[in-house]
Amino acid sequence: MADAAASTSATTGKLQAARRDESPAMRLLRRWGTIVVLVLTGIGFAFASPYFAAISNANNILFSMIVSALVSMGLTWVVMAGSFDLSVGLIVTFTSIVVAFLIPIFGPWLAIVLSLLAACVIGVINGVLVTYARLSGIVVTLGVMFVLDGVNVFITGGYQVPVSYSELAFLNIGQGKIGMIGVPVVVMLVVFILAHILATRTRVGHYVAAVGDNPMAAFYSGIDVYRWVIVSFVLSALMSGIAGVILTAISSSAQPVGGQGYLLEAFAAVYLGATVLGKGKPHVLGTLIGVFFLYMVNSGMNMVGFPFAARQLFAGLVLILAVGANAALNREELHLKFI
Amino acid sequence: MPSDVLVELRGLEKEFSGTKALKGVSLAFRRGEVHGLLGENGAGKSTLIKILTGVYSPSGGQILLNGEPIRIHSPMDARRYGLGAVYQDAELVAGFTIGQNILLGNEPGRFTVSDRAIHEAAAAILTEIGIPMDVRRPAAGLSAAEMQLVTLATLFHRKYKLIVLDEPTARLSASESEVLFRLIQQFRAQGITIVYISHRLKEVQDICDRASILRGGMLSATLDRGEITEDRVTELMVDRSRADLETYNQGHARSDMLLEIENLRTENLEALTLNVRAGEVVGITGPVGGGMEQVARALGGIVRHSGRVQLRGRPVDLSKPTKVRQAGIALIPEDRRKQALFPALSVADNICLPVLRSLQRLALVRPRAKLAYADGVVDRLSVRPRNTGMQVRFLSGGNQQKVVIGKWMSAKASVYVFVEPTSGVDIGAIKEIYDIILHLARDGAAILVVSSSLKEILALSDRVIVIHDGAKVAERPKADWNYDDLLAVTMQGRHRRAA
Repeated sequence: MADAAASTSATTGKLQAARRDESPAMRLLRRWGTIVVLVLTGIGFAFASPYFAAISNANNILFSMIVSALVSMGLTWVVMAGSFDLSVGLIVTFTSIVVAFLIPIFGPWLAIVLSLLAACVIGVINGVLVTYARLSGIVVTLGVMFVLDGVNVFITGGYQVPVSYSELAFLNIGQGKIGMIGVPVVVMLVVFILAHILATRTRVGHYVAAVGDNPMAAFYSGIDVYRWVIVSFVLSALMSGIAGVILTAISSSAQPVGGQGYLLEAFAAVYLGATVLGKGKPHVLGTLIGVFFLYMVNSGMNMVGFPFAARQLFAGLVLILAVGANAALNREELHLKFI
Repeated sequence: MPSDVLVELRGLEKEFSGTKALKGVSLAFRRGEVHGLLGENGAGKSTLIKILTGVYSPSGGQILLNGEPIRIHSPMDARRYGLGAVYQDAELVAGFTIGQNILLGNEPGRFTVSDRAIHEAAAAILTEIGIPMDVRRPAAGLSAAEMQLVTLATLFHRKYKLIVLDEPTARLSASESEVLFRLIQQFRAQGITIVYISHRLKEVQDICDRASILRGGMLSATLDRGEITEDRVTELMVDRSRADLETYNQGHARSDMLLEIENLRTENLEALTLNVRAGEVVGITGPVGGGMEQVARALGGIVRHSGRVQLRGRPVDLSKPTKVRQAGIALIPEDRRKQALFPALSVADNICLPVLRSLQRLALVRPRAKLAYADGVVDRLSVRPRNTGMQVRFLSGGNQQKVVIGKWMSAKASVYVFVEPTSGVDIGAIKEIYDIILHLARDGAAILVVSSSLKEILALSDRVIVIHDGAKVAERPKADWNYDDLLAVTMQGRHRRAA
């Protein structure tokens, strides 16, 4: 019987040390798997279409993903904190409309500041309802999403809100170029760098991650849990707000409806991004790579000549495969959470 | 030794829905002393500590810090006053490293946090305490003991004036306990007061400067170091006034063997062999965390274990809770609300869950049959109020326990394992629950009662087993035990006299 016990304790020990004693190949796969798939897919498209690997195409991909990338990076914060934000897509539309309305009144710069503030207010409302008011994140942000949809149509009367062509400084944000690279791409990259630093080098990222992982432990460690949940919602709304401003600047007008599509893309990107570098938890860099992956696949399939339906289908399969592989690599002992 | 008082409790009272858990406790903790706190289950230790750390607020009395009265509304408040605690079930952030956990909430640096600075600081703390652990290891894979050590390390930078340690050695091995005792000495040398709660008398004798003994919600006495002897402590702990509960197991054991456990082992339990007859009640007791819980967890299919378990001579598979249930073993866990009940469902829904199949026709559950069935169970167990439509969360602790039992009765289990069956149960309902348990025995079930309440064990059992540090240290028929004897063996882990 002694050997039976020995084998039991050996298995328990193995279980605990699993992450440290895994084979180098496994570790490599966990860490670099997503990126390897991304690179292989890119190489595949490059062979299939001569135009794919061109610099101009890379520029196109980056340009097309701006709004989605900003929304996704914002959503990353809320998912990190352990909640959901379904209002991000509509915040884009809302901010886009608000800034278009305010430019003739306050001039472009103050209009941008005010519209971003408006986005932050929505973030605060989301955050406070989820924490102090004890409501579910899904329900609250779903409600806010519908409310914003209504508000958007009300304030625009259902018509698009144009921005005057004389607002060159503002339109430059969306349409200008620095060398080959579009100004909005630069804005996106700057926001990414700031968000990445905020997430990895400051208390904000540290505490948001702690709260999302184990709120109870964070609470007993003297961390103001509610504050950091609210902060995550504000960051999410702020980044969606920036996306809204850029959207208006790109198209010289604000549309009264739409925006829900960004939300679904953002969720795909965040969960795809969580698999990058084997972290298993959402992080800003991973999200950016996730968005890039989705848009790259879209562009590549477009060039090779796949219809839209096939692209959607492929994006869906990639997402499930990536997240599935990640779950297989980071197996929990007992899986009892189904969100 | 400095003798000035850091925290003073004056006439502290706490009432839970009509039951007084604390009946005016006055107690002083001196600066830089290790103050043991002893008492039976329900004597008021945890209530006292939870008041001190802001989890509960007192119904009466005062807390003074350095002679000034203070009010503690939340754990945050307590922290601001410099009062901290390590609870038995401390938690860590699984996705963080050991180092990040140690410094959580207190990272070096003003606005930025540097990963390197955190890990250097954490490594320095671990070296100072003398715990050899890699600070960059993720917390996710730590054993319970390692987690406990990491939690202790977090105390280091928090600048507490008083630290409550609640059964800190429950999850530690002997050598790890040594680390803890060294740490306590370091804190003491810095003038920090330690309140040390333990069921292990030897530890209290070894490390405490003074020890207070609670009994039935009142302070029994405070002893100085030299006076902490087994006889004295036993005498002060035992609440003679409550000694006689009317319930007593008359013995319903039959001759046929129902449950045979052979060499059951888990990580924290040495090979245990135990046979239980039909109708027999076996009580298992010992210090909390000493291994008695492992028996229940292994039989419930919750922890990894080895060994052979047979039911009516046939081996049973206990690898998963579902299989355990099919085999006819019912585990009634201590944490009812989390592990055994669906608080937002009605009493009827809870009771009928295991037997829904027999209450349906054409795949539809017949509501009237369900209610009739639930009514029958509720009547038999006298659940109050007699309303099967009520959500379970609105019932009292005792009545919730009856619902859990009712749920299993309907599943026709032949072995019942009760863990702390009357914790959180109001005194009035305790006798009823005892009667139900004995009724199950009379009907021929084999019953294991795992409890740290000796009175409970003596009231219910035919046979009593003491598990200490993972090993069975005593097994005798109930008739051969008396209360003081059992208490001594539980605290010391060995027989006092040959008796």
